[in-house]
Amino acid sequence: MSESEPRTSEQDKYPSGDGYYVYCIAETASAEGIVVDSIPAAIEEGADLELISRDKLTAIASRVPLSIFGEEALAERLSDAAWTAIRAMRHEHVVEHFAKQTSVVPLRFGTIYLDRSGIERMLSDQKEQLTAIILKLQGREEWGVNVYCDRDALLENITSVSARLREMAAAAKQASPGESYLRQKKIDALRADEAKVEIERAIGEIERKLTARSDGVTKLRILTVETTEHGELKAKFAFLVLKVEFEHFRLAAEELARQMESAGIRIELTGPWPAYNFAAP
Amino acid sequence: MDSSFEQVTVGRDVEFPGDAELSLLETLDHVLNRGLVIAGEITISVADVDLIFVGLNVLVSSVETAHEVLRERQRPNVPTAKRADD
Repeated sequence: MSESEPRTSEQDKYPSGDGYYVYCIAETASAEGIVVDSIPAAIEEGADLELISRDKLTAIASRVPLSIFGEEALAERLSDAAWTAIRAMRHEHVVEHFAKQTSVVPLRFGTIYLDRSGIERMLSDQKEQLTAIILKLQGREEWGVNVYCDRDALLENITSVSARLREMAAAAKQASPGESYLRQKKIDALRADEAKVEIERAIGEIERKLTARSDGVTKLRILTVETTEHGELKAKFAFLVLKVEFEHFRLAAEELARQMESAGIRIELTGPWPAYNFAAP
Repeated sequence: MDSSFEQVTVGRDVEFPGDAELSLLETLDHVLNRGLVIAGEITISVADVDLIFVGLNVLVSSVETAHEVLRERQRPNVPTAKRADD
């Protein structure tokens, strides 16, 4: 190996020592009041959760070996889905523990600092922003709303409520076989159009009515084509809801679910989540 | 519950494999894709996260693995060292 080549020794690639993995941030006054004897496990074995405070803010963190969580080492580990899923669950477990008891800013998976002073600096530098988010989330939690559509049920429902489609179907029945085929194709196309309009209308109504019962809404991207026994996933929302208002939110969602059930549209509520989708300033 | 409404409550024991997978994907989506992004000294790029998600979708389609991962949520803390008296 020539002298001029860049160093790529194992030490450079896998630095030794520990870094700090950060889960979430809370106000120091409330974080210190949280019961520690039932505290959940840290993301990596061999370390306990630590509270790192500066300027009235506290980061919930734990030591992680840089041989695993260093930049390059971590990139390699992340390609192992099972490894990642387990760490993601531990992250969630920790955030939930604190979010249940106080207002926290949940951080995205994989925020790592090389030492405590890095975290203290971050708390100090971003104090205003973090405090504003904590305030916004106070007394609130996130609820997910998934909207599914059973296409067959929806198409059937559309035919049964549309006088025009019923007339067309009757006419198609009486026509000659060739004519009947063409008419049926036209009916199918019309029904598909109407189904599309109906789904959009239903999603719009769900968003409008539940937004009125919440303090914020985010429409989420659908990651995969999810088909369940309720049909295909058509929309995903996250709502920020005051804990004391949740019963009203739930009743509004139930009401919508009841109204839309016969049209093949199902609503699923998930939560409560730490407010991951509302953790931006 | 006599209701037309589907409710999955996070943290509750999940009885049906379908629900378990769904709940796991929902959780992973929250933890990996949402949450405040603070420029830590080591961070994961968005492109990496997207790749991770592809792998996770495959992983979650195995019910057995899904349950194994879900058990992590209930995993009790095993203290790793005696705390200093405080």
